[in-house]
Amino acid sequence: MADSTPAGLSAPAGPMTEHGQGMTIQRTRLQGRDGDLLTVNFGPQHPSTHGVLRLIVDLEGEVIRGLKPVIGYLHTGIEKQMEALRWQQAVVLTDRHDYLSPPINNLAYALAVEKLLGVEAPPRAQVLRVIMSELTRLSSHVVWLGTSSLELGAMSAFMYGFREREKVMDLNEEISGFRMHTSYIRPGGVFADATPRFLEMLDAFIREMPRNVDEYENLLTHNPIWIARTKGIGHLRPEDAIRLAASGPMLRGSGINWDLRQDRPYSGYDKYDWEVAVEDGCDCYARYLVRIKEMRESVKILRQALDGLPPGPVNIDDRKILPPPREELETSMEAVIHHFKLATEGYSLPPGDVYVAVESGRGENGCYIVSDGTHKPRRAKFRSASFVNIQALEQLALGSMVADLIAVIGTADAVLGDVDR
Amino acid sequence: MSQQIPTTAVMAEGLIARDHWIQVQPEQIRATLSRLQAEGFTYFLFLTCVDHLATPLLQQPPQRFELVYQLRDLKQRREIRVRVFLPEERPEIASVQDIFAAANWDERETWDMFGVKFEGHPNLERILMPEDWIGHPLRRDFPVGGEPVDFSEDHETWQTAPPPA
Repeated sequence: MADSTPAGLSAPAGPMTEHGQGMTIQRTRLQGRDGDLLTVNFGPQHPSTHGVLRLIVDLEGEVIRGLKPVIGYLHTGIEKQMEALRWQQAVVLTDRHDYLSPPINNLAYALAVEKLLGVEAPPRAQVLRVIMSELTRLSSHVVWLGTSSLELGAMSAFMYGFREREKVMDLNEEISGFRMHTSYIRPGGVFADATPRFLEMLDAFIREMPRNVDEYENLLTHNPIWIARTKGIGHLRPEDAIRLAASGPMLRGSGINWDLRQDRPYSGYDKYDWEVAVEDGCDCYARYLVRIKEMRESVKILRQALDGLPPGPVNIDDRKILPPPREELETSMEAVIHHFKLATEGYSLPPGDVYVAVESGRGENGCYIVSDGTHKPRRAKFRSASFVNIQALEQLALGSMVADLIAVIGTADAVLGDVDR
Repeated sequence: MSQQIPTTAVMAEGLIARDHWIQVQPEQIRATLSRLQAEGFTYFLFLTCVDHLATPLLQQPPQRFELVYQLRDLKQRREIRVRVFLPEERPEIASVQDIFAAANWDERETWDMFGVKFEGHPNLERILMPEDWIGHPLRRDFPVGGEPVDFSEDHETWQTAPPPA
């Protein structure tokens, strides 16, 4: 029996939906195109989208012809909530947007507040800040390595990565009392001095970390499957990286030597001897190599920071910004007044606005704050690396195969809490 | 630096906590940003809005909404902030997403959160809030809290847009 419709056009005229595993497929027919375009909804509840990223993908066969990220599923209104909190209270919210690197978020906020106040943290606090930032970068990179390689089918790196993350969590717990949302770095200094046990644990961690990075590399760097899945995938030309304002490993994986720790140093990063990790492969594999090298460089920085940890206070000696030590409250009326004023009213920042950016595991993590002279922010905005890097997904994925989309999302390393804030 | 930007456009210039900023007329925003881009400020950091409603500042800002564009020169390692003030009754400005591609989502976010319209933006729709949300949450007159939980009984009668006619 002759069919009147040509092959490949036998689908019903209207949109047709099928419910597959974890995704709804909507089939539409576009006129004037070669072959049918299949519009697939990808996420937000999909194991390989690192959280709740939703993508609407137009497929021609297996080739991606259109891609639209849909975000906002994890929007918690952190910027709005900060306007209702005092300057010193708002620190706890900065922990929570990029939940894989809380101390780095704290640092961006603390530096912004300090810049507007015109104060600088004491040397010991600055080194402790560097230690916490680098530990966080390591833990963020091992989580990235574990989850991204798991999505591409390499199971072992996930186990290895989370083993090291656990050690960083223990270090967090030892120094701040919290494992995840540490709120350790605060305007004026840090929450508390490092305990002797912390320094011992850190020393052991630094000793064993290079060997662990070797282990990850043994599993992946020369692994033919890993290379096939990442090399030449998700190409991002250097000029596109700048045009789309990509940052972090996305920028350095495209051969652009830009690291805020070296190019706009903060917290004394210019005093350490280390190299910026740059690769000019412009693909997912280059971004992987950048992160692996960054882990090794972080260990170098940690060693230098631990060996050169100066003695001294960890908070600025300004009673108008930080409360007096507990023992002073028992003998000094003035200390009680200062404590009372800070606890009931907080401190005010001079009117103005500042922008401070720090390098997180994902890229440029900036904090823009506006003060109207009162004790609460008029506006606090986070320039999050994930938000901007996800914007570049379309550029990265167009024309590639649908299976490569997983590698592209993986190496963009977005934290959805950071995208949606 | 101000000599390199069209001098007629710059209304004010200054340094705040070592950050360099200029203020321009809203009509001049595209010309200013293109000019700055040609001068080497090729890296678009962010665009956001500040709502100065009921500000306690003694020196009142000229208008309610202040748009802030932050640009960076990667080669000379310098940054510049461009300020534009928009009136409360007509918060509208030309889109710059064709000059700086990275501004695309920031403009959508600023529309979503502050209700500032960017003329010439190809896809100016909500990005973080649900599509049927009413109001712009980061405006100072938008209350914190008070909204019911999604999918609860009275959700439909609350902040949901009426169904299209």
